[in-house]
Amino acid sequence: MNKPKIASDWICGCAGCHMSLLDMDERILKIVELADLRATPITDLKEPDESGVDVGVLEGGINNSANEEVAHKMRARSKILVALGDCAVFGGVPAMRNFCGVEAALRRAYVEAESNEPGSEIPNDPELATMTQTRAIHEVVPVDYNVPGCPPDPDVIFHVLSELAQGRKPEIKDDLLHWH
Amino acid sequence: MVQITINNKQIDVPEGTTVLRAAEMAGIQIPKLCEHKELTPYGGCRLCIVEVQGVRVPMASCTLPVNNGMVVNTETEAIKKSRKFILSMLFSERNHFCPFCQVSGGDCELQNAAYHEEMTHWPIQPGWNDFPVDTSHPYFVLDNNRCILCRRCVRACAEMAGNFTLSVAERGAKSMIVADTDVPLGDSTCIKCGSCVQVCPTGALIDRTSAYQGHDEKMTEIKSVCVGCSVGCSINILVRDNRIVRIEGDWEGSVNHGVLCEHGRYDPTTEARKRITTPMMKKNGKLEPVSWEDALNAVKDKLQPLAGNKNGIAALASTRLNAETLTAFKDLFESKIQSGMVTSIEEGVPSSAVMKFSEKQGEFEGKLDMLRSADAVMCVGANIGRSHMVAGFLFKRNLNKGTRFINIDPEESELDELANISLKAKPGSDLALIKGMQAVIHKEGLERSSLTITNADEWIAQAVSASGISAEQIAQAARILAHSVTPVILFGKGVTAQRDEKIVEALYQLAVQIGAIDQERSSLLSIKGEANSLSAALMGLDQPFKLDGQKVTYVAVGDDYVSKYLVEKAAKSAYLVVQASYESKLTENADVVLPVSIWAEQEGHYVNLDGRAQKTAKAISAPENVRDNLDVLNDLAKRMNLALDTDWQTAIRGRKSSVSLN
Repeated sequence: MNKPKIASDWICGCAGCHMSLLDMDERILKIVELADLRATPITDLKEPDESGVDVGVLEGGINNSANEEVAHKMRARSKILVALGDCAVFGGVPAMRNFCGVEAALRRAYVEAESNEPGSEIPNDPELATMTQTRAIHEVVPVDYNVPGCPPDPDVIFHVLSELAQGRKPEIKDDLLHWH
Repeated sequence: MVQITINNKQIDVPEGTTVLRAAEMAGIQIPKLCEHKELTPYGGCRLCIVEVQGVRVPMASCTLPVNNGMVVNTETEAIKKSRKFILSMLFSERNHFCPFCQVSGGDCELQNAAYHEEMTHWPIQPGWNDFPVDTSHPYFVLDNNRCILCRRCVRACAEMAGNFTLSVAERGAKSMIVADTDVPLGDSTCIKCGSCVQVCPTGALIDRTSAYQGHDEKMTEIKSVCVGCSVGCSINILVRDNRIVRIEGDWEGSVNHGVLCEHGRYDPTTEARKRITTPMMKKNGKLEPVSWEDALNAVKDKLQPLAGNKNGIAALASTRLNAETLTAFKDLFESKIQSGMVTSIEEGVPSSAVMKFSEKQGEFEGKLDMLRSADAVMCVGANIGRSHMVAGFLFKRNLNKGTRFINIDPEESELDELANISLKAKPGSDLALIKGMQAVIHKEGLERSSLTITNADEWIAQAVSASGISAEQIAQAARILAHSVTPVILFGKGVTAQRDEKIVEALYQLAVQIGAIDQERSSLLSIKGEANSLSAALMGLDQPFKLDGQKVTYVAVGDDYVSKYLVEKAAKSAYLVVQASYESKLTENADVVLPVSIWAEQEGHYVNLDGRAQKTAKAISAPENVRDNLDVLNDLAKRMNLALDTDWQTAIRGRKSSVSLN
C-alpha cells in the first residue's frame, strides 16, 4: 500500500512547533503507521522528495530570501501545504520587527545591543540571505491549511496530520482552534 | 409589544428594543464587540450585522430598533462571510498578535469572536503602524496598538463615571484613544475608577496588578459588596491561590450597575498597611507576641471586674465592621457590661442629626436610584468628588444632558467646575442659607407645596449676611431647584457634623417646598459615612466619644483606617485593647492587640446609605493566627460566661429609621 508522504521544514520560527509535534508522544507511531514521514528538520532527509509529497508542513514565517526559497520549494513539491503555528500563519513574534523595520532591528541586534563588541557591524557577507519584512506563509505561496497556535497543541497537530493522512479535510475549530 | 421573527423564532418584545436585545431575549447570541449592555449602542464595529428581510444591505443589530413583523436572520452564509471580513479588517488595523497579549486565551472578546467564526488566519495582514503606549497611569496601561476603536472605554468614562476624560483623537485608521487634550493618562483628569478597563474587549486597557496573573477561568469569582463607604456597590472579587487578584463592578449590582470608584476597585489590591498576624501584649513598654489564650484572658481579667460600672469601660467600634459584629459589640459592652460609653469610631458625625430628625419625622429619606433620573441635584456639604464617588457618578453622567448641579461646600473641589452654581458659604451658615432659598422660592411664587414664611425678605437678608453669598446667587440656586421636575438634594458630613437637626429639617422643608418630597417619593438623601454607618446609627452607636476616667478602652477597629484624631483620643486611655487587622499608631499604643480578619476574609451584613441590607462574602482565608471579628467578641464573652446576641436585624430596628430598610 502506498502511504501518503509527509514532509516538513522550519523557517523563521523557533522549532517550538516541531517540539509540540514530538510532544504527541506515542501517537507519533500512529502517524508513522498512517503516513510515510519523509524529510523533516529532525530526521536525516532534509529536503522534500523531488518527486513530490502529499502533505508539506512549514513551521515559521518568511523573513529572508532563503526562507522564500524553502517555501517555494515546499509548495512546488507538496499537494497540500500546511502552515504550522502562529509564525507560519500570522508572522508571529518575528513579525514584531515589521513595526520598526528590518534596518532598525538589525542595527539594534548587531550594533547597539549592550552585548556587542565595540565597532560591531551588521553582517554583510554576500553569501548571506537578504533580509526582508517578515511575512506569513500565505503572503508568499498559497496555503491549504492554516494551523495557528504558539505552538499548536499536540492534539491539534495530531488531528491535522491524521486527518490529512487518511484523506480527510481537517476541521480546526472549537477546542482545536487557538492562536496563542 | 412588537412581534419579530429571528432565525425562524417568533418573539414579542417591547417597542424600542434593539434587534440585538430581542435576539438575546429569544436566546440567540449575535456576535458583537462595541456593544455593551450598560452603554449606549454605538454601531461602530459592525460585527453584529444581521440580514433583515426586505432590506438590501446587512444592518447593525445593536442600533436597529425592532419593527412589527420584522424577519431577521443572523446566521446566513452571506452574514457569516461578512462577519469574517469585518474581523479581518479589524485584525489588519493594528498589532493584534495574540501570543504576547495579556488577554489572549479566553479573556479577549476579539479573539473569541474570531474563534466563533472559525478563523484560522488573517486574510489581510496588518499594516505595521506603530501606536503609542501610555504607561503613566498608576493602575492601568493604555496600549493603542491593541485597540479596535470600539469606544466602549470612551462611553464608560462618560456614561458610567460621568467623567468625560477619554475621547478619540485623529480620524480613520489613525484614530487614537486619548485622555483630555492628548495628555498622559497619569496627568489627566482621570478619577481612576477603572470602568474603562472593565469594559475593554481587548488588551488595549489592562490592569497593572492583575495583568499576567492568569486567565479569568483560573480565578474564582465571588460576588460580594464593597465596604469602602456607605454607597454599598456590588462587586465581583476575582481570587486565585487565596489572593485577591482583581475587583470588578458587578453588572447586576442594584446600586452601581457595574461601576466602581478608585477605592472600591483598587484599594484592596494595593493595600500597603502591615498586617498583624499574632496577638500581642505590652511587656516592659514593648508589644510582644502572645497566645490567643493569654491575650483574651488578660482582656477578660480587665473587663470582668468593671461589669455593671457605667464608667468602667469605653468601647468604640468601626462602622466598617459587619452588622453581626456591631450587634455583638453593642450587646457585650452596652447590655451585658453596662458601660455608658459605647459608640462607633465615627461617633455619629454622619448620622446623629439625621437620626434626631427621623425620631420626629420617621422615614424621610429617598433612594440612590433617583439620582439617575434627577434633572437637578443640590449637594450640601457632601464632597462626592472625594468620597462616596459612585453616588456622584449616578448624576455626573447626566450633566452633559441638561441635569443641573448646585454645589454648596466651603471646601474647594473638582465639583466646583462641574457645578452650574457653586456656593462657598461661610462655615456654619447652612441653616440661614437654606432658609434663604426657601424664602426666595416662597416670595417668587415657585412653591409646589407652600411653607409658612412670614418675612421672606428678612430670611434672605439673613442668608446673605451669614453665608457671604449674594442674594442673586442664592436666588439663582433656588430657582434651579424650584423649576426642575425631578430635583434631588444630597447632604453630607458638612451638614451632619454640626449635629444640628434643624439644618436637616430645613432641607426637608425645602425638599417638600420644591416637590422633591411628596406622597409618592422622597428625593432627599444623606450620604452618611462608612459602609455600616447606618447600622451603627440605628443601633444607637452614635454618641460622641469622651473619656471620663474609664479604666479600659476597647477599640474594635477591624480593617478600618485609623485617624490621627482617634489615636490622640485613645492615647489618654488607662488600658487600651485594640482589635485590628493592620498595624497603626493605635496598635502601637495598645496594651493588648487582637489580630482580626479583613472584610474579604469574613462574611456579614452591611446596610448601605439608603437602607439596603447586603451581604459580603468570604472570598479568601485569613492568616493562620488571625480570627474573625465576631469570633473574638464571642470568645471573650464566653470567658466571662456570657452569650452574645448577634440578631442584627432586630438590633437595627431599635430606632426609627430615616430610610426604609430592605
